[in-house]
Amino acid sequence: MVVTQLSTRPRHGEGNSTPASGEARIRIFDVTLSYGSLQIIGGISLDIAPGETICVIGPSGCGKTTLLRMLAGLARPTSGSVELDGSVLGGPNRSVAIVFQDYGKALLPWRTAAGNVSLALEARGCPGAERLAITREMLEKIGLGRHADKYPAEMSGGMQQRLQIARCLAQEPKVLLMDEPFGALDAMTRQALQDEVLGLVATTGATMVFVTHDLEEAIYLGDRIICLQPNPGRVGRIVDVRLARPRNQLLTRENPEFLRLRRELYDLIKDDHQ
Amino acid sequence: MKHFSLRKLFLGCGALALFILAWKLVTDAKLVSPIFFPGPERTYAALVKGLSGGAMLSQTLETVQRMLLGWLLASFVGVFLGVLIGVSRRARAFIAPTLELLRPLPASAMIPIAIAFLGFSDNMVLVVIAFGALWPMLLATIHGFAAMEPRLYEVSALLGLSRAQVIWKLALPSAMPMILASLRLGLTISLILAVVGEMLASRQGLGQSILAASRSFRSPDLFAGIVILGAIGLVGSRLLSFAERRLLRWQAVSR
Repeated sequence: MVVTQLSTRPRHGEGNSTPASGEARIRIFDVTLSYGSLQIIGGISLDIAPGETICVIGPSGCGKTTLLRMLAGLARPTSGSVELDGSVLGGPNRSVAIVFQDYGKALLPWRTAAGNVSLALEARGCPGAERLAITREMLEKIGLGRHADKYPAEMSGGMQQRLQIARCLAQEPKVLLMDEPFGALDAMTRQALQDEVLGLVATTGATMVFVTHDLEEAIYLGDRIICLQPNPGRVGRIVDVRLARPRNQLLTRENPEFLRLRRELYDLIKDDHQ
Repeated sequence: MKHFSLRKLFLGCGALALFILAWKLVTDAKLVSPIFFPGPERTYAALVKGLSGGAMLSQTLETVQRMLLGWLLASFVGVFLGVLIGVSRRARAFIAPTLELLRPLPASAMIPIAIAFLGFSDNMVLVVIAFGALWPMLLATIHGFAAMEPRLYEVSALLGLSRAQVIWKLALPSAMPMILASLRLGLTISLILAVVGEMLASRQGLGQSILAASRSFRSPDLFAGIVILGAIGLVGSRLLSFAERRLLRWQAVSR
């Protein structure tokens, strides 16, 4: 990763970060993050409403993943704050779940699919009988009902990523963070999972922040798209996606608005790469 | 699958048969005096006699018991200390140099010290076995904990697992392949030290009986004892491999 050092003050609050109506689920306020003299994130402010789906795109090295890790409480901002429902997020919190891209590392290889989901329930002290019921329900929801007794090594990449999502859902999170979750999957699996995640988010009412490098994925999933710019990472532009829900892999992607957004985002990203 | 393992078994027995044949040829040609080097038939006769009516059966049980007790002690202490040291990076940095100093010490060199404290007793032998055999388990646990996938620590923090849950549900299972391999190593060391301990402290068992047989030129008994020791090692190692395969089923499965 090439990150050049920047001595000028970060320009923050760029882009229009108007909060959605009502109280924000997540409030990112003037957040910066530096490692030593190297600034990774330079002043990001953003309000995310409950139930909203935010997609984050940007060139590599723009701090997408770092931003997500801060929202998960895995990284501490150097200055500024991240608030969840009005209180400062001091560290990892059960209300915030994250799906990592490298499902192979995030799952417990010695536990079956059911065991992996159960871990989330064991963590919050859920009694045994209830645990079984919820585990079964979560696996059904994500289409792994018949594979409860399989070990991760016996599953395809798509199934393993489903499993990770099921474990996150068992956490009953208010916020679901996704770090390029489908980046390693083939196109068909990817589209199927996009629709399933949209369905789950719609039924649970969870707020989602979805990092991706795939522009079409961002448009297809998001209510708003945050375009980050690198060196240091900051909000370049926020694009509203006014496409009807529920979305459809064919109709939505053929919609003129979808195509217009794709061109707009493409130009934005291209400029950053030059 | 079944077919394949049968073939392997057959091959393994073939090598053993060749070895026994060579042994017989050497002794029949009287290359070494029969007083010191009995043939397979005489060894077998001594084995049958010793195990059916003689003292050899009870001596074998003594040695096996000693080996198992020492090994269990070593395993519990080794894994327990390993967990204590493994959970914290600071503890690792603190204790690692001392461990490196103690580890290469031959356990037999500890015997005089153990004798000074515990006398010529069964407990003394147990302590020596435990000291000598705990190292593989200790180091495997420490290394297993250190080698745990960092992503899993993040997962545990996000799910809100307690420290005890992280140890019990994440770190120990992820270190399990290394720990199980070390248990097999530890069992071999336990057998060696059980025999050495019996010889030096003259406790009941195969070690002492082998020594006595050698001193009174009963070489068939001596060789019978060695054959039994070999068998104990083989059976122990096989049982542990079997347990290992059962416990690590998740590693063997693949698409």
